[in-house]
Amino acid sequence: MAGTTFEKYGGFGAVSKIVMDFYDLVLDSDSVGHHFDDIDMPRLMDHQTKFISALMGGPSSISDERLRMAHHKISITDAEFDEVAQMLVEVMQEHGVKADDIAQVVAAVEEKRPLIVRRDTS
Amino acid sequence: MTAIALSTINEHLLKSIGVGVAILRYSDLNFQFYNAAFAEWFGDPADSEAIPEIIEKLRETAAEALRETGRYAGEVQVKPRRRTLIISIALSLAEIEGEKMLVAECQNITRMRELEQMIESYSSMVERNTRELEREKERVEKLLLNLMPRTVYEEFKTFGTVTPQLYRDVSVLMLDFVGFTSFAETNDPTVTLSELNDIFSTFDRIAEQFGVERIKTLGDAYLAVCGMPEPAPDHASAVASCAVRFLRYLERRNESHQYKWQARVGIASGAAVGSVVGVQKYVYDVFGPAVNLAARLQVFAHPMKIVAPVEMTYDLIDNFQVDEIGSYDIKGLGVKELINVSSTLTRVR
Repeated sequence: MAGTTFEKYGGFGAVSKIVMDFYDLVLDSDSVGHHFDDIDMPRLMDHQTKFISALMGGPSSISDERLRMAHHKISITDAEFDEVAQMLVEVMQEHGVKADDIAQVVAAVEEKRPLIVRRDTS
Repeated sequence: MTAIALSTINEHLLKSIGVGVAILRYSDLNFQFYNAAFAEWFGDPADSEAIPEIIEKLRETAAEALRETGRYAGEVQVKPRRRTLIISIALSLAEIEGEKMLVAECQNITRMRELEQMIESYSSMVERNTRELEREKERVEKLLLNLMPRTVYEEFKTFGTVTPQLYRDVSVLMLDFVGFTSFAETNDPTVTLSELNDIFSTFDRIAEQFGVERIKTLGDAYLAVCGMPEPAPDHASAVASCAVRFLRYLERRNESHQYKWQARVGIASGAAVGSVVGVQKYVYDVFGPAVNLAARLQVFAHPMKIVAPVEMTYDLIDNFQVDEIGSYDIKGLGVKELINVSSTLTRVR
């Protein structure tokens, strides 16, 4: 684990702060905030922290299957995905994460897009 | 001047701080004052939906606590917007301008709660990981214990290396199957392997009973020692006991199994050096005269016979049938007087 982005920025403590600020932004958003109307936020933040930590090379893992199941019932569009990803970028910038490390996280998130965005739009 | 200024400052302070403050008349719970933070969470008391609900919810317990101690502390959940907030409420009684008032101090403890939940979740994750590491460590230990004796492993673990050590009094057992090469050539490798696995596993169990340690198997050869790393005074008879039981096991097995196995066994006593060999691929191995001799005698033995040097007679005569078979020139070791060792027990047929 030594030398991972996760360790570089201070482990779970740092990531959880990023995640909490991230959700402050997300919940305030008029276009995506409604997805979180009836969500158990502390639980979601916990999962998200583990997810982001995993993307940064930290000692946690969220399986693709779990990710898919979690988003399965929500109709998330590509545009919404992009907006939320952009908020994550902003928050990481505010927290002093370097550009190439942000790019690494974003690329990892992007890889999961097919699991999160609903394709069978009908 | 100061009095006016101070009250103005107080009022500003109350309005702007992050703590939600409200003052209600105790008699009818009518709001006398509330600040911005309070309104942000609960809404304007004039048209708030949340406040009547909260009052209803807290009324009885709060009234009781206030009667008894003059204070009340509790928590409520409100959802002014999307996010459900957890607000702690502390109520106390005060007398303002001759009237009994209820002072409510509210704090937003949502983040604290979120953090608490995260900490709990991470610590359980860390505990889980630690348990997994612990199990992994046990697996590694078990694996290493297959490669080397425990005392050697302890040395290896502590110092990261094992010093080769000379043991003067050990006995070595070397066993090899008759016709193994042709068996391996004519049968499927998986058959060969499962046969060897079955037989060697039994050998291991027998060896364990006599405090004999298997050092390695090399193809169809089985090498075991007694008296190292822990000294054993009866090492000679221990390996002889193993050898006898190995052969008896094979005889029994041949009666019921499809494949028949015959083995030659050489045993010898003397000195041997034990050490871990290799850096990446650790192998605990033994070297020395006793090992060489046992290997040579094994080659020399007839099928299903155990051959030992005559010097071992004294150690074995009490418990085994010892038959002198004469002197033979053993390659590389000169002329040796040899004996056959067999069980004194009557064979159960």
